[in-house]
Amino acid sequence: MFLKRQMPVIIAISVGLFILFGHFINIAPVQQFVNNDATQWFDIIASFAIFLGALNMLKLQVLKVVKKQRNWQYSILAIVGFAFAIFAGFFFRGANYITLSDIDPNNVNQLVEYISTVQEVKDTALMVKGIESSLASYEIPKIFISKSSAEDFAILVSGLAKNVTLGVKPWGAHVQIEGSLFSWMFFKIFTPLSSTMFALLAFFVASASYRAFRIRNFEATLLLVAGIILMIGRVPIGEFIPWWVVSTLIVFGIGALIAPMIPDKKILFGLIVTGIVLSSVLGIIFDWSLAINTPGILSIPNISEWIFDYPTAAGSRAIMIGIALGIIATSFRIILGIERPF
Amino acid sequence: MNLLKKVFIALGSMDRRFIFLLVALSVLFPKLYPDLFTLPIKPSSHSQRVFDEIDTLKENSKVLVSFEYGPSTKPEIHPSAIALLNHLFSKNIKVYAVALWPDGNFMATEAFSQVADKYEKKYGVDYVNLGYKPGGEAVVKGLASDIRTMYTVDLLGNDIDSIEMMKDVTNLLDLDFIFSLSAGYPGSKEWVQFACDPLGIPMSTGCTSIQVTDIIPYVANNQIKGILSGMPGAAEYEQLVRNALDARGVMVEPGKASINMAAQSMAHIVIVLLIILGNITYYLTRKSGKKGGVQ
Repeated sequence: MFLKRQMPVIIAISVGLFILFGHFINIAPVQQFVNNDATQWFDIIASFAIFLGALNMLKLQVLKVVKKQRNWQYSILAIVGFAFAIFAGFFFRGANYITLSDIDPNNVNQLVEYISTVQEVKDTALMVKGIESSLASYEIPKIFISKSSAEDFAILVSGLAKNVTLGVKPWGAHVQIEGSLFSWMFFKIFTPLSSTMFALLAFFVASASYRAFRIRNFEATLLLVAGIILMIGRVPIGEFIPWWVVSTLIVFGIGALIAPMIPDKKILFGLIVTGIVLSSVLGIIFDWSLAINTPGILSIPNISEWIFDYPTAAGSRAIMIGIALGIIATSFRIILGIERPF
Repeated sequence: MNLLKKVFIALGSMDRRFIFLLVALSVLFPKLYPDLFTLPIKPSSHSQRVFDEIDTLKENSKVLVSFEYGPSTKPEIHPSAIALLNHLFSKNIKVYAVALWPDGNFMATEAFSQVADKYEKKYGVDYVNLGYKPGGEAVVKGLASDIRTMYTVDLLGNDIDSIEMMKDVTNLLDLDFIFSLSAGYPGSKEWVQFACDPLGIPMSTGCTSIQVTDIIPYVANNQIKGILSGMPGAAEYEQLVRNALDARGVMVEPGKASINMAAQSMAHIVIVLLIILGNITYYLTRKSGKKGGVQ
C-alpha cells in the first residue's frame, strides 16, 4: 500500500519542489540536475511512454477483435499495420545500397543512364558533375528494398567501375533513408491516408459554416463579419476587392449599428445613402483607386491583418494568462499532494 | 418576389453533398487550369519580417530549423520549409535540423533532398539532420543547455562529434537563429518559452493557419520575429525568396503554396458565398418558422 499510495506522492512532491526551487539555488550540481539531468530523465520517461502507448494500443485492438466488439474488423487493419511497421522498423532494414569505386570517367554518362532506369534524375548535368567529383568512390543515389534488386543493378553497372560494393544502411538510419521499406510505408501509405483525413476537413468546414454562421445576435454578427474578412483577406483574391465595395459595406455596418436609435426608416435610409455618396466622392477626389492612396481601412487584407494583430492578439493573450494561472494552481496542487492525477 | 423567396428557401435546404461538390469543383478548377487563375501575391508585414530577418543573416551563420509537422499539415508548412532552405542555402548559411515530431524526420529528409543538391550543399558540412527526440519541451530545454545530452548521433547514425559542422556547437547559444516549422504541440510556443526567450536567440516561425491565434501574441511581443501563417504566409515568403534569388541570378520555380493560392482563394470565395446564402435563407425562414439549412 505504501508503494502504491504514499511513494508516488513523496516522489512527486520531492522532485517537484526540487526542480521548482532548483532554479533559485546557484549551486553547480543543483543547476546541473535541473538543466540537464532532469530533462534527460524526462526524455527517458517519454521514450518509455511511447513504448507503453504502443503496447496499450495493441492490447486494446487485440481485445476488440477477440471479443468481437463493434467494428472489430477495423482493428484487424490496425493490428496488421502495427505489425508491418514493427517488421519494417525492427526486423527488416530494406535499405540496400551500392557503392562504385574507381569509376572510369568515360562511363559517367552511361552510369547516369543506368541510374535513370531505377531513379528519377531531375538534373542530369548536376548528377554528372556529382559523379565526376567522386570518381574514387560514389554511392548510387538509390536505396533498394530487396537485396536481389540491388544485386541485379550491381551486375548491370559492374563494367563501369573497378569495384562494386553492396551495403546495407545501419539499423536506425534505415527508417529515415528515402527508399527504404519504412520510408516507403510512410510516404506511400501513411502520408496519403493522413492527408486525405485532413483534406476532408475542408468539406466539413464548408458545410458547418453554411449551417452555423448565422446573424442571430450582435456577437454572432461580429464573428461572422470577422470570419468573412479573414477568409477573404488572407488569400490573394482579397486584393481585388475595390475600395468602394469596402466603404459601402462599412456604411451599411454603421447603418446597422445606429438603426435601433433611429425609429424613422426614411431618415435612416437617407443617412446611409448620404454616407455612400460621401465616401464615393471622397474616393474620387483623393483617387483611392490607386493602391498607394487607399486608406488602410478600405483594404480587406489590411483589415484582416489588423484583426490578427490587435483583437486576436488581445484575446489570445487573455486566454494564455488564464491558462498560465490555471497551470500554476494545478502544479501547486500536484506538488503539495492535494491532487494526484498519477 | 415570392418566387425569389422560394428559390432562396429551396437553395437553403440543399443537400450537403451538393456543397461538397461545389467545394471540390472550386479547388479542382484552379488546379486543372492554373493559367486561368493566376493571382498576384502581396506579402503581409509578418511574412516580410520573416524574410528580412533571414536575409540579414551573414554567410556561414548557423540556423536551427525545427520540423514539427507531418503529412496532414504538409501542404500548409512544407512550402515554407522549401522556401526557407532555398533562402538559407542561397546565402551559404549552415542549417541544423531537428524534429520534435516523429513525422518531422521524414519532412526534413524530403525537404533537404529537394533543395540541397541544387546549391551543391554537402551533408555534414553545410547541413545536418539530427532527427527526432521524444520529450517536447524537455528536448528544447536540453538543446538549450547541451546538445550532446540530447543527441549523440545524427539521423543517419553518425557520431555527432565526427560531423564537421557540429564541432563548434555546444548548445543553442552557438546558433544565430531558430526557425520553427510548427503544426501544433510541441512547436513554436515551446521554442519561445524554453529556449529563444530565456537565451535571447532570435526566432521566426511558419505555422498552420489555425495556430496563428496562439502564436500571434509572441509576434506582437517581438519574441517571435515574424510569422508565416499557413499556406498564404508560405506563398508570400516563396514570392519574396523568389524575387530575391531572381535578383541574385538564381532561378527558382514557383513554389507549391503560390500555385495552390488560386485554389484556396476560390474555396474561400465559395464558402463565403454559401455563408451569405445561408443567412438569406435564415432571414427568410425565420419569420415564417420554416426550417432552412443543409439537410
